[in-house]
Amino acid sequence: MGRIKTIARRSFLIGSVAIAGGVAFGIYAYKREGKNPLLDTLAPGEASFNPYVKVDANGVTLITPRADVGQGAYSIQAHLIAEEMDVDLATVRIDPGPPSAVYYNGVVGIEAMPIAATSETFLANTGRGAADVAGKFLGLQLTGGSTTVPDMFDRLRHAGAVARATLIAAAAEQTGLPADQLRTDMGAVVLPDGVRLEYADLAATAAEIEPVQEVTLKDPSDWKYLGKPQQRTDILAKSTGTQTYGIDMVMDGMVYATTRTNPAQGGAIRGFDASTAKERRGVKAVLPITGGVAVIADNTWRAFQAAAEVKCDWDDAPYIGDSDKQFAAVAAAFDPARQDSRFRDEGDVDAAFEAAAEVIEAEYRIPYLAHAPLEPMSAMVLLAEGRLDIWTGTQIPRFMQANAAKRAGLEAENVHVHVLMSGGSFGRRLEDDYVLQAVEIAMQLPDVPIKMVWSREEDFTHDFPRPLAMSRARGTVSDGKIAAYDLAVAAPSTAESQMARLGQPVMGPDMAIVQSTWDQPFAIPDYRVTGYRVPAMVPVSSWRSVGASGNGFLHECFIDELCLAAGADPLEERLRLCSHDVSRKVLEAVGEMSGWGSEMAQGRGRGLAFVLAFGVPVAQVIEVTDVEGAIRIDKVFVAADVGRVIDPVNFEAQVSGGVIFGLGHAMNCELTYKNGVPQQDNYHAYEGMRLYQCPEVVVRGLENGTEIRGIGEPGVPPSAPALANAIFAATGSRIRTLPLSHSVRFV
Amino acid sequence: MQLTVNGTAHEVDAEDDMPLLWVLRDELGITGPKYGCGIAQCGACTVMVDGVAVRSCQLALGDVDGEVTTIEGLGTPEALHVVQAAWVQHQVAQCGYCQSGQIVQAASLLDLNPEPTDAQIDAAMSGNLCRCGTYPRIRAAVRTAANKLQGA
Amino acid sequence: MRLVFALMVAAAPALAQEVVTPQIPREEGLAAWDRIFEVTSHPRCTNCHVGDAGIPMWEALGYGEERVHGMGIVADDSRIGAESVPCRTCHVTSARANTVPHAPPHIDDAWRLPPIELEWLDKSSAEVCAQMRDPETNDGNTIAELVEHLQTSAFVAWGFDPGAGRSAPTGTVEDIARDVALWGEAGTPCVEG
Repeated sequence: MGRIKTIARRSFLIGSVAIAGGVAFGIYAYKREGKNPLLDTLAPGEASFNPYVKVDANGVTLITPRADVGQGAYSIQAHLIAEEMDVDLATVRIDPGPPSAVYYNGVVGIEAMPIAATSETFLANTGRGAADVAGKFLGLQLTGGSTTVPDMFDRLRHAGAVARATLIAAAAEQTGLPADQLRTDMGAVVLPDGVRLEYADLAATAAEIEPVQEVTLKDPSDWKYLGKPQQRTDILAKSTGTQTYGIDMVMDGMVYATTRTNPAQGGAIRGFDASTAKERRGVKAVLPITGGVAVIADNTWRAFQAAAEVKCDWDDAPYIGDSDKQFAAVAAAFDPARQDSRFRDEGDVDAAFEAAAEVIEAEYRIPYLAHAPLEPMSAMVLLAEGRLDIWTGTQIPRFMQANAAKRAGLEAENVHVHVLMSGGSFGRRLEDDYVLQAVEIAMQLPDVPIKMVWSREEDFTHDFPRPLAMSRARGTVSDGKIAAYDLAVAAPSTAESQMARLGQPVMGPDMAIVQSTWDQPFAIPDYRVTGYRVPAMVPVSSWRSVGASGNGFLHECFIDELCLAAGADPLEERLRLCSHDVSRKVLEAVGEMSGWGSEMAQGRGRGLAFVLAFGVPVAQVIEVTDVEGAIRIDKVFVAADVGRVIDPVNFEAQVSGGVIFGLGHAMNCELTYKNGVPQQDNYHAYEGMRLYQCPEVVVRGLENGTEIRGIGEPGVPPSAPALANAIFAATGSRIRTLPLSHSVRFV
Repeated sequence: MQLTVNGTAHEVDAEDDMPLLWVLRDELGITGPKYGCGIAQCGACTVMVDGVAVRSCQLALGDVDGEVTTIEGLGTPEALHVVQAAWVQHQVAQCGYCQSGQIVQAASLLDLNPEPTDAQIDAAMSGNLCRCGTYPRIRAAVRTAANKLQGA
Repeated sequence: MRLVFALMVAAAPALAQEVVTPQIPREEGLAAWDRIFEVTSHPRCTNCHVGDAGIPMWEALGYGEERVHGMGIVADDSRIGAESVPCRTCHVTSARANTVPHAPPHIDDAWRLPPIELEWLDKSSAEVCAQMRDPETNDGNTIAELVEHLQTSAFVAWGFDPGAGRSAPTGTVEDIARDVALWGEAGTPCVEG
């Protein structure tokens, strides 16, 4: 295929970093053993067999380096290790570990490559392998892109198996018995006579021997935890108020801080007057920081009150500041000079339109969206004697370490990032801006632990939102079928914006602009997708399911329009066009679950959408009722294929949570701008979904895929288009702009 | 002034208008109640005063007129409150940040109305925002807890 | 208790008729009523003076027109949300000033919906007028008691000064108390409609 040849000549973009020229050296570096960072922390009698397991006289510690932002990553990682290590998770410690290159993400780079998840060609697989090389070479420790399970599935099970084998070897050495007469049972090596040697009691011996590397992983039929319902390791803490999030960290002698910076993100401060703020009770200092001020006090609320009282003279926004002008800039980007990508160009779309009697056209638009996790950005920092300690929730501990070191003028090795549980993220904690603010405070106030917490208003106005976008779609139908489809998407680049902040170069096209449009498994004879890059405006970032979050709506609503224009059934037509067996089964499943095609009462309607994102095909059918002119969402059916469901309970939670997240934002949410300032600064204006609006969500996990995939994000993209398509079915009103609340009322 | 939280009396030296939330979190170190919005939009700060749910970000210290119960006072990992047990059973929490408030709100509901209808459960729990989308499990857990309380 | 209440209000009209001998021209009374209705039909009042569905409104708050109270709030038969989430969970009892935009307002009284009989939302001037002059439907008040209620109710005081940039009906507590007294002295005239 011509397309693949083009890709072959192109530099692969791995995490948006070009490595084409550096692969040879990269592979050399790649092949060296990654250094186990736990070895530096061991005391006598403590053993670590690999970067994921540590055993000492007090017990077992499992290292779960992917951040838990609510998706259950700690629990899943711990279960992967425990399955092979044979330990009881109720008795082990779980620790995210230090930032380290050894915890690199080997698959996240794949999403930055123009390789369709359904492609099984040699080149596609070579490209995927290159993502591992690059991830390891760069030490890219990052949580995101629904990669934790695919990246860690083998690695952590192997780590658990190595630990178990080494502890058996230690027991053999300690007892003089041959290893093959020993077995393990829930945290102990069991001798032939039934005597149990607890792992903790074998630590000292194990520390003296070389880890056993030759291990065989269990057959899935022997799994004790995996594939079965698991209890989340954090469920007790999170049900009793005893989970410590970043915002809950307490240290002796700490002071409380908050910041107030230019509400136009990245704007400067010309000057400020803190004279009355400083007089308030408990206020210790008002300090200048980049773009604003920080207030130090003896209580967060006192800091908030004082910060609100500082008179600030803000500079103008460093970008187009008003929503209508921002959308005008997006519209202006549909220009050949701004073409960013054309990863699919099959058949001859232009000729098809030329020959067609009628060309169906539509324009769609989606707004900026805030992440707004419920825990506002916060961090504890302590800068003392040339050492900087940071306690916070983050998805990017190594970038944070490097950037904080740079800001503080320290070597990275003197910066210690301690990762804490995050109260949500949805991509927000792929940024380290809030920590850099705290570092600036610490530089002016060393030797004191500082807990910095943002107000909700500060959090909303200093988010890096999901970018706005527009699409212009054209298509033709003939003989009851979709014949031609031409999609143009214009959006600012998240990669360009995000990587610049992380100090990383970025080259080539941005996959996110056209994510989940060009690579969908539909064999439309004439099928073209073109991405246009809008010049940078508001600084933007990845938001749960990234480009697919909005592209699902742009793409799947228009496919629905074409199906209906052709007089075809939306499910039948998608099945007819589907070129990917795993995806077809997902579509068939959702059709069967929802009773697709059965009669519905007057005023009711059902909508279908299918999006393949992060390698996971997801199909949704949503049923709605028109209640005296308002829409009630009754029920959602979802089928998704991740290859293998590791924990059905968490799988269901992530899929239904993703659907609700997607629906809530599609219904109610947008960030609009005036003079560069987001006009929605708290949840009263950015509600998402409330419980009374929440439909029943029926989830089915399929396991036909050959690769194991992550499920934190793929549930999101089909929800908005499935809802809009259902509203059309119920009311005849085709909505092409989000949020839907501009056009309909929800009950 | 005197403030009784989870059965323990505390002497608090703070402004009359400081919201109870920040007295609990920053003056007394009780961090189960969370700050999410400061304007009673999210419910993460919910505690009970004399057994009734209150958004602690809205209640000024000087207006507290009863004993305060936070999520920590409801039950502990070793001795779960029936609502907490239902939350564990249904594995409601994802990020978990809103769940302290959700659980206290649900406990207050069942205290006032031990046999809520589905509509009343929806109405009672809709003031508590969850960004992760755990609503279906919240509904199920409240129902389980209600059934258990009625059986007891 | 319901019976006692009915007996109490049954006695009231006779009393009112005895006391009120119109001393103010009907036109002045009608003009006073118009000013009263301008207040009672303001969203600040009608948002809570709702009917038996017990669903408060969020109109004129900048959250969209004809918008019901967010969060699916239902005050229900108890009119205080006791069946689900009590009003006071967010609308705490406090004499402090309302200063935070978008925060739930509070007064120095238990936040609640008025009795169903006092439904003002979407009611015409004639309907509200008829409702207000009849103790059967005005919570059992004589005109003098209504005037006193207006002068002493924390709800009414808050309605004219809701704080935090919220819109309010024109006038003051004193203005409406005076107008109600005037309307009463004019024999509580209502326009037919």
